[in-house]
Amino acid sequence: MSNQNNTFTELCAGYVLNALNESEEREFQQLLAQADEEQLLLYHELKAAASEIATLQPGVPPSPSVKKKIMEVAEASSKTKSENAAIHKMNWYRLAVAASVLFIFTSIGLVIYSSNLWEEVQSKEAMISQQQTTIERLESEVQRKEELLTILEARDVDLVMMDGLADLSPNGYGKVVWDKESGNALLQVANIPSVPIGKDYQLWFIVNGQPISAGVFAVDDPGRDNFFKIEQLQSSATDGAFAITMEPKGGMPEPTGDMYLLGNM
Amino acid sequence: MLFFILTTIGKILTKDEERDRELMARIKTRDTSALSELYDNYNRLLFGLILSILTKREEAEDLLQEVFIKIWQNAEKFDLERGTVYTWVVTLTRNRSIDRLRSRIYKEQKKQSTSLDDEDVFHPLYSEESDPLENTILKERAKKVHQALDQISEKQKKVLQVAYFSGMSQSEISEEFDIPLGTVKTRMRDGMIKLRELLARDIEL
Repeated sequence: MSNQNNTFTELCAGYVLNALNESEEREFQQLLAQADEEQLLLYHELKAAASEIATLQPGVPPSPSVKKKIMEVAEASSKTKSENAAIHKMNWYRLAVAASVLFIFTSIGLVIYSSNLWEEVQSKEAMISQQQTTIERLESEVQRKEELLTILEARDVDLVMMDGLADLSPNGYGKVVWDKESGNALLQVANIPSVPIGKDYQLWFIVNGQPISAGVFAVDDPGRDNFFKIEQLQSSATDGAFAITMEPKGGMPEPTGDMYLLGNM
Repeated sequence: MLFFILTTIGKILTKDEERDRELMARIKTRDTSALSELYDNYNRLLFGLILSILTKREEAEDLLQEVFIKIWQNAEKFDLERGTVYTWVVTLTRNRSIDRLRSRIYKEQKKQSTSLDDEDVFHPLYSEESDPLENTILKERAKKVHQALDQISEKQKKVLQVAYFSGMSQSEISEEFDIPLGTVKTRMRDGMIKLRELLARDIEL
């Protein structure tokens, strides 16, 4: 046995019997902290062997009050622990309820928010659609105006003024700017009644007493000037007249309805 | 290390220890009936041990109460891998008894009220007429310790008993019995090693 083991064993025997002085006790505790497996086993076995010495003394019964006091303390602490556990559980229960309420309110809030958001999206979509329609209408208008401008830009055009007829459109006004070369014409009308449902106005070019249909159109706002483009109005005639009649919707091969405007070339 | 300890513990795992481990497991779950049962099993052994060290009955009862409350409060600290319930409980009891004995206040009280003559220190030991311990297993255990100590020299045996039951340090034993300190240390070491060898054959250490 090495000196170190001798020291360990000697100190260990004293230590398990609490018989060392303070400095020896500290020394052994340091050795124990660095002990190998064999030394640790020795320590545990010596401690167990020492505890067996206790059986050498006779058992002496303590007063019954000792057990009573011990059990009172144990039962009180056990009760406190279970009460704490109950409080703990109750706290969890409260927390769970609070979390549920929060969840419900959050869910309701989200539903309302998403509903509002959906309505807002719908409203924006409608607005976009409306603006798109406006853009398309304006583009169409610009295109039509450009086409009309093209007619007006032509250097050699015929201008035919039409007047309203006394009975149906006394203040009626009409004008045809005709570019014979391209066969396109510009029709401008104002102060003639709006066409009823199922009806259209029809422009006629009358040459040698024969009416030639130049197209149909509708007026829905008599108060303002209305412009229309007339295509494929091919004629080399230098004499004739333009007239506007009200016909069944889509027009007729020959005039059948009342005349609202009339003007000679 | 763990393997060796487990091997040693498992070598002779008595029914007594199995019962104690079950009680400790129940105490850990705050089962007061288990504490009551443990008390019934050990109270006379532990009270006799405390009384042999402190000699004052009132003080010993106070400490016994303190020990069992400590067991109740510190049951979680009991480690099966480090030994038996018996060793844990007895070591805890003796350590607290020694602490109480060595506290300055108690020492002052003791100086005034008790003497340390040999008869007072030893009277509980080897008394064939003494009350039996709580159960037959503890009595059987005591018998084996008696048998083991019979195989140890008288001088070694005396040093072990004085140290164990009086709580005297090696220096105090040296002074009290006029034995050189080195001799006390040697007897204590050799006696403990021998006791360990003898008990290891029959009792779970």
